[in-house]
Amino acid sequence: MASATDTPPGVVLPPPITERGGVGWAYANLFSNWYNTVLTFIYAALLGVALWFGLSWIVLEADWKVIATLGGRLIIGQYNTEFACPGQNCFWRPQASLLLVSVLLGMAWAVSGDKAAKRIAIGVAAITVAFAFLPYSMDQMGLDVRLLLAANVPAVAAGWVLARRTPLGTVRWIVMLGVLFFLVILVLIGGVPGVPGLQPVSTIYWGGLMLNLLLAVTGITLSLPIGIALALGRRSSLPLVKLLCVVFIEVMRGMPLITLLFMSQVLVPLAFPQDFSTNSLFRAGIILTLFSSAYMAENIRGGLQALHPGQVEAARALGLAGWQTTVLISLPQAIRNVIPAIVGQFISLFKDTLLVYIIGMLDVVEFSRAFIQGNAEYLASARELFLFLALVFWIFTYTMSYVSRRVEVHLRVGQR
Amino acid sequence: MAASESTIDTSDMIVCRDVHKWYGNFHALRGVTTTVRKREVVVVVGPSGSGKSTFIRTINRLEEHQRGDIIVDGIELSNDVRNIDAIRRDVGMVFQSFNLFPHLTAMDNITLAPMKVRKLPARQAEEIAEQLLERVGIAEQAGKYPGQLSGGQQQRVAIARALAMQPKIMLFDEPTSALDPEMIKEVLDVMRELAESGMTMVVVSHEIGFTREVADRVLMFDHGQIIEESATEEFFDNPKEDRTKLFLSQILA
Ligand SMILES: Nc1ncnc2c1ncn2[C@@H]1O[C@H](COP(=O)(O)OP(=O)(O)O)[C@@H](O)[C@H]1O
Ligand SMILES: [Mg+2]
Repeated sequence: MASATDTPPGVVLPPPITERGGVGWAYANLFSNWYNTVLTFIYAALLGVALWFGLSWIVLEADWKVIATLGGRLIIGQYNTEFACPGQNCFWRPQASLLLVSVLLGMAWAVSGDKAAKRIAIGVAAITVAFAFLPYSMDQMGLDVRLLLAANVPAVAAGWVLARRTPLGTVRWIVMLGVLFFLVILVLIGGVPGVPGLQPVSTIYWGGLMLNLLLAVTGITLSLPIGIALALGRRSSLPLVKLLCVVFIEVMRGMPLITLLFMSQVLVPLAFPQDFSTNSLFRAGIILTLFSSAYMAENIRGGLQALHPGQVEAARALGLAGWQTTVLISLPQAIRNVIPAIVGQFISLFKDTLLVYIIGMLDVVEFSRAFIQGNAEYLASARELFLFLALVFWIFTYTMSYVSRRVEVHLRVGQR
Repeated sequence: MAASESTIDTSDMIVCRDVHKWYGNFHALRGVTTTVRKREVVVVVGPSGSGKSTFIRTINRLEEHQRGDIIVDGIELSNDVRNIDAIRRDVGMVFQSFNLFPHLTAMDNITLAPMKVRKLPARQAEEIAEQLLERVGIAEQAGKYPGQLSGGQQQRVAIARALAMQPKIMLFDEPTSALDPEMIKEVLDVMRELAESGMTMVVVSHEIGFTREVADRVLMFDHGQIIEESATEEFFDNPKEDRTKLFLSQILA
């Protein structure tokens, strides 16, 4: 800081070098003193070595054939095998499901006004259309498969037009359509007895990334409302409600997910009819959802706890009823404040879906492991395959945290 | 004072008889008796912790009293939820820390209660809100969020929010003590205009100029009791209690 006598009034001084451009940045952050300079060089050397070996392995040594061999099976597992879908080609059913998702993405793009929705919609369209026309696809995939992949582009466009040109272009409608489409997807993939072309496919054959995504979407959409209910229950003034919620939350959080999945064989039949209880997919969905709800409840309770008590007082002083205060004032603020924690829970739920191998389901990771173990010629390719899977998971989780950051940016307008 | 006994004049908006309030073991209000008449402006003063906030918060039942009677606009405050809701509709409150809803725009802050409690259609609630924003002098800020407004603007939105319920009584708990000096005046101007319009007001405030000009009566609190209560001029020019004299000398200094 210059004192008043140094700087005559009205004089604007240029900023110091540390505030200017790339050179200033490097000076301030990398070379500001001798040990920072030494550290910078050490890190640069380590990074260089890692990149050198990493890249040369990826380009020269790695054999990515295993991924091409597995191809669509990574996405649907055994779904389209002869056992699952005898005498028919069922590949179009997951593909049609993806088209519905693309329609929703197109609608979200049209409505949200944020670049995140646009990027994701365009990203999905671009990736699918790229796969439809890759040289590899040309000789591996049938024309029908490639056309259905490429159809994601018009699907996104259709969603966009639908949202712009019809009254469906509101958040409320997109949410309702989302729920509707989700049910349609379950029917599409599960099939309907007696309908030609939609013959039932037992859930034991649902697998691959599709299984991870179905479980994650179910868990995410259900665990948020259940978590909110549990959080409110835990703060309830009714002792019995409070006790039940506390016990549920603490039991769920106190047990490892793997144990719960094991025990689901015993636990789920207690509350659900026999037909459902023996269905692994149903059990996995229930356990993942409840497990995640318990954490969600604590996140939301944290958000409620952090609210200024004046908010509730002001609402009550205006004559709002208790439940109106909760729904209109407390919850919206509490949820906004804990979005990072909520999305963190979504991400961890998504990653936890691969634990369903515990109850014998072939999610994408378990399917890959089984494939490698059963095909000796690919044993050496495990590294490539799992590296690829790690990248796929990362893309999904990173997209989630990207969306959450964009949502926060928008909501922050009202917070400052 | 007027009617502390059995007769309740219809022009008595707030009647408190021997009101006691405990926080756990702590005796916060120790027998408060007073009456506020229609169109009256009463200012409450007293040292910090003397029970001023507790007193005005019992009037709309943000705090429950344990002994004595409080009758607001003819309705006795009891555990009957319907009575409490009815009273809260008729009593507006303005807080020291504004307590605007940060996730709603100024407009939505104001229209929320009329729409959800009085069930007014959105259009009508918005018209009322626009008029009120005009009245408190910030019509152009309707679309902003509280975090984008200055303290003085926020407090004026809070006043408009309370007025939107068309209350018969307004309670103010130190409405200007969280404000920078240059913003105090804009809030006091709004309150002055409100008083002139005939609103019944109970104001906790140490703004002497405002009090002298607007208040009909001043209540002096100490240790949970009203130790002195008199017409404004009398209170400032001729205080009776030593505690009041000491207090006045401190805040006038
Ligand atoms: N929620 C509460 N729990 C316990 N004590 C309280 C609570 N609110 C206020 N008090 C106590 O009651 C007394 C009166 O408080 P208050 O009415 O806020 O005083 P004032 O507004 O005159 O400064 C203080 O001693 C304060 O510590
Ligand atoms: Mg106070």
